[in-house]
Amino acid sequence: MKVRIVVLGAAPPGLAAAVLASLPSPLVAAAMERRKTPEATCYSRRRGQLDALCVLDNLPAPAEGEVVAAVTAIDLFAPPLAYVFGLSVLGSRRSVVSWSRLVVATGEDPALLTRRLTTEVVHEVGHGLGLIHCPVPDCAMHRSFWAEAVDLKKPSYCVLCQQSLASHRVSQG
Amino acid sequence: MTMAPVRILVVDDEQHVRQSLAAWFREDGYEVNVAAGGREALATLARDGADILLVDIKMPGMDGLELLRKARELAPDATVIIMTAYASVETAVQALKDGAYDYVVKPFDPDAVSGLVRKAAERYALLKENRALRERLESAAPALITAGQGRMREVQELVERVAPTDTSVVITGESGTGKELVARLLHAHSSRRFGPFAVVNCGALAEGLLEAELFGHERGAFTGAVARHRGKVELAHEGTLFLDEIGDVPAKVQVSLLRVLQEKTLMRVGGNTSITVDFRLVTATHRDLEAEVSSGRFREDFFFRINVFHIHVPALRERSEDVPLLAEHFLSQFARQMNRRIDGFTSDAIAALCAYPWPGNVRELQNAIERAVVMCRANRIEASLFPFAHAPAPEDLSIDAMEAAHIRKVLASCGFNVTQAAGLLAIDRVTLYNKMKKYGIERP
Repeated sequence: MKVRIVVLGAAPPGLAAAVLASLPSPLVAAAMERRKTPEATCYSRRRGQLDALCVLDNLPAPAEGEVVAAVTAIDLFAPPLAYVFGLSVLGSRRSVVSWSRLVVATGEDPALLTRRLTTEVVHEVGHGLGLIHCPVPDCAMHRSFWAEAVDLKKPSYCVLCQQSLASHRVSQG
Repeated sequence: MTMAPVRILVVDDEQHVRQSLAAWFREDGYEVNVAAGGREALATLARDGADILLVDIKMPGMDGLELLRKARELAPDATVIIMTAYASVETAVQALKDGAYDYVVKPFDPDAVSGLVRKAAERYALLKENRALRERLESAAPALITAGQGRMREVQELVERVAPTDTSVVITGESGTGKELVARLLHAHSSRRFGPFAVVNCGALAEGLLEAELFGHERGAFTGAVARHRGKVELAHEGTLFLDEIGDVPAKVQVSLLRVLQEKTLMRVGGNTSITVDFRLVTATHRDLEAEVSSGRFREDFFFRINVFHIHVPALRERSEDVPLLAEHFLSQFARQMNRRIDGFTSDAIAALCAYPWPGNVRELQNAIERAVVMCRANRIEASLFPFAHAPAPEDLSIDAMEAAHIRKVLASCGFNVTQAAGLLAIDRVTLYNKMKKYGIERP
């Protein structure tokens, strides 16, 4: 499955490219593009956050055999959830991830942030392909609520999730 | 085995909230439905059901509180979580009083709501398991085996009437008639059926041991009391206490039991702490308790306290119409236990069973069938497998009893065809009917 990374707004140099380069099998890096953050429609000044569902609605439609994964520096919310690391509608092949909360305790280590962001992109792309949360603790599809918890996961799918993707039991959109 | 996914219904008038939460919970593998208001939620609940409801408390039209009350009628086991803003926390507290499981204040942290829903899902799984266990328990409840006629029908009706009450019941009847089965029936059909059913055979224990068995004892209360022991009265808390052979209880223990019944508290032997107990008392005896009271062997006050309702279980010879049915029941039970394939009884065997007076009642019949199943080498049980079929008639049988047994035997041998039986007996049909009435013989 090809992955197109869409960078919304500004990003640290090389971050998105590093994520794209780190994608695990069966994901394949396809392309990277930059877009403006849809602030006019999706940014809440009162909250200082982007509405994740609104962002998903404003993403370009994925091409055949492709998944679109947006990344942003701005924190995300999905009312009534106060924040989310990322969001995807199951099987929609569209997802969004923010690294705003992933920078916590990275000690400005770019490699750690890249790893966390890659893990969460792999996680949301998995949802976009129809995977649900996985009980395997180090699988990228395991649910995590804190940045440090993301470090306990690998930026890849466990055998069970890989089998689910391969057997087409999950929606291919 | 794959478990069916937990079904969540999100009810909120804001489309954005519905969409976000639906996406969020689907990622966890839940099956999610959404509704924009109370009416739509009730329709969805009636159509698709739901295990967990997330309900916004402030909605136009039917608010969350009203929806909560109506949803509880439609889906009493569903877990309702209220979503509220800070300003309406007081209303959320009211929702808790009305039966909501918990509430979350908007906007909420993802981990808070995820944890809450996980706990609600676990609660749902426990409720489901609990319900399944209760259904299994109810389906395993004992049943009276009777042709549904005569005196056992009366017993059945009495059990049905008194079981749901908390009334103390005395069951009388000869040994082996099934007094404990009637006691278990009373328990199984009472509101205490999910509580314990504690049994004490009062006739089998010496006075000191009976006291310890009933009321328990503290460590060191007497020689040999090496550990604290909870008595059967205490163990019967919120259930039924069945005291078999109550007529054999010594006077001193009768006094102690009377005190427990009146005060609803007990003290373990050697203890000094009062323990509150709540149980329903069912007793049984083969003795004539009124005669025991008259002769001074049984305390009158205790008798009146326990004998609020009386059920007499007739002897098997008084309900011979039940013999074939009981025999079939025990045959199927023992054949299953011993993994034997036996199709039934020969007509001679049925006739022999019906003719025998069963002094040991149902217990003796049960033993006879068990023995016959062990001995049987054919696919049907024959009369020769019953020891009593060869035994000479007991000397104390009266002419009437002999006649009744003979009529039963002949009737059973010709499938209760009265005309045929009358021909074999060389009497007319009216005479046979009169004799059947006289001896209480009824068609099975």
